[in-house]
Amino acid sequence: MLGVLAAFHELDSAVDALEALKKQNIGAVRVFTPTPRHELEEAIGAPPSGVRRFTLIGGLLGCTFGYWIAIWVSDWWPLVVGGKPIASWVPYTVFGFEVMVLIGGLSTVAGLFINARIPRITMMVGYDPRFSHGDYGIWVECPPEQARAAEDLLKQHGATEVRRER
Amino acid sequence: MATVTKPVREEPRRPNIATAAVSLPAVRDFEQVDREIIGTLRPTLAWFIGLGVAVLALLLGITAWMYQIYTGLGVAGYNPPVMWGVYIITFVFWIGIGHAGTLISAILYLFRAGFRTTIYRCAEAMTVFAVMTAALFPILHLGRPWKFFWLIPYPNWRYIWPQFKSPLVWDVFAILTYFTISSTFLYIGLIPDIAVLRDREKVSPIRKRIFTMLSLGWRNTDNEWRHFARAYLFLAALSTPLVLSVHSVVSFDFAMALTPGWHTTIFPPYFVAGAIFSGMGMVFTIIIPLRKWFGVKHYVTINHLDAAAKLALFTSLLVGCAYMNEWFVAWFSGNEAEQQFFANRIWGQWWWASSILYTCNMVLPLSLFVQKLRRSAAWLFIISFTINIGMWFERFVIVVPSLSHEFEPWQWTSYRPTWVDYSILIGSFGWFSMWFMLFIKQLPVIAIAEVKEIVPPKLRTAHEHGVDAAGRHFEYEPDTPGEFA
Repeated sequence: MLGVLAAFHELDSAVDALEALKKQNIGAVRVFTPTPRHELEEAIGAPPSGVRRFTLIGGLLGCTFGYWIAIWVSDWWPLVVGGKPIASWVPYTVFGFEVMVLIGGLSTVAGLFINARIPRITMMVGYDPRFSHGDYGIWVECPPEQARAAEDLLKQHGATEVRRER
Repeated sequence: MATVTKPVREEPRRPNIATAAVSLPAVRDFEQVDREIIGTLRPTLAWFIGLGVAVLALLLGITAWMYQIYTGLGVAGYNPPVMWGVYIITFVFWIGIGHAGTLISAILYLFRAGFRTTIYRCAEAMTVFAVMTAALFPILHLGRPWKFFWLIPYPNWRYIWPQFKSPLVWDVFAILTYFTISSTFLYIGLIPDIAVLRDREKVSPIRKRIFTMLSLGWRNTDNEWRHFARAYLFLAALSTPLVLSVHSVVSFDFAMALTPGWHTTIFPPYFVAGAIFSGMGMVFTIIIPLRKWFGVKHYVTINHLDAAAKLALFTSLLVGCAYMNEWFVAWFSGNEAEQQFFANRIWGQWWWASSILYTCNMVLPLSLFVQKLRRSAAWLFIISFTINIGMWFERFVIVVPSLSHEFEPWQWTSYRPTWVDYSILIGSFGWFSMWFMLFIKQLPVIAIAEVKEIVPPKLRTAHEHGVDAAGRHFEYEPDTPGEFA
């Protein structure tokens, strides 16, 4: 993996550099930001997160399991209470709901981990501790022949530091 | 005729919606946020003393529990038919405490209430530790506590399963789900902040390694933030109905019984409102000293406390409304047992407990209608104590008077907690405080990444707030006297 890393003090500089990089179509771009910013999000133009599918599927599976376990256990170990049916769906809604939330929530976390590629054992190329502090970073993964153009463009838009990494 | 050209209005970029309604004028840049919030993690002598007191209280509780296990449940002051006492009261109390944390961290997040930003981490940690505390009490209440796992459905050699129509089994599911989702929500929100701690840790290699593991290799990339924001939103969306369901399920423990004062459909909303009210009280009890000791009054400002106090006032009114509705229904139902029970609760043997409850939960919080009192940290701290006391007594008044005054007059009796009950009650505060004290010196009690969202970022071009030559925001002059008090 070869590319150019740039650090920016100012948000608008980073946004401008990002837009210019996209316009000139230089390499694959990744942005580092200490906090999520809509300005950067709009400049990147990424598709919606896929986490929602994990939440939906997990929630549906959880709800089904919650009802199923209560109904199956009631049939397996029938205890008549107050003359009510053995498998009473009304009280079992508690289980359907609680297990839906439980599995839906844990699936959401799984969706986050899978989509965001965490946990990560080693820090990726191009990370700098400044990016959790106050600076914005842009990593441009590009072939060596495009690196010079990327460096110039990033400096031109106010990067405080530009360096090549591999 | 001269044509008037309309000035072209540049469409402003979307603000960070979650925190658009709040500003921290005395916080100028991200470096200040990191420096000041990480600075709160340095242990102090007062912290060690506080931790020591918490551990001592916990040891007292453990000792009493050991004595109870050795001697039997009889030492706990139960007096048939009053077989639910301090343990169940305190169980409901701690579960309720947790609810405000989820309200602040999840529900107010969905409502985009900006004032939650600086207090939610504290409230969320409070939720997790409160649920951890509450979960002990059903076990403490068991004569043979080592059999508690019988409530959990699992395949076993005896081929027996729990009774799924029992509210006690509903409780197990509700509380386990609540604990799992609350702690997950807390941890997920902490990941970016732990990454900040990892990158700023220069002294201890062990701490750095622990933070490295806990941060899961978080790098602040756009991809991570995109999925993080979505996952956080969904967790908040799942936690919102969860918080309403948990105390509703706890209320079913009572409402499903045919006992006077319990068998009523108002219990679920009544319990939920009471839970949030009590939790708000505990939030004030915790956050007001913390903002002073940690020197973070410019993060948790009086404006934030004011907004939270309005929420406490609102929930107090809801709870008061529920109390009045209980009286009305008892009168309107024409049910003699119910009417006599309420008369006994208010004018009979339990008048003193009811008086504490109504004074602390209905009367004193009305003072929060006065803006001056809402903006007084000292008054809020006092009120928070009365709310905590009042809400414990609310559960006392729900549990004890009903069981001591059921249908058969020959069963009417009294109840007096013993030193074992009181010691375990104190021990529960020790257990809760111990975890909280450990938390506040290991992990940030103010969410670093979210605070950075509301601090205006450095820009190359000046904006309306005004920046100096170095790109820093001008020093803020508080124009409201006492704003940082």
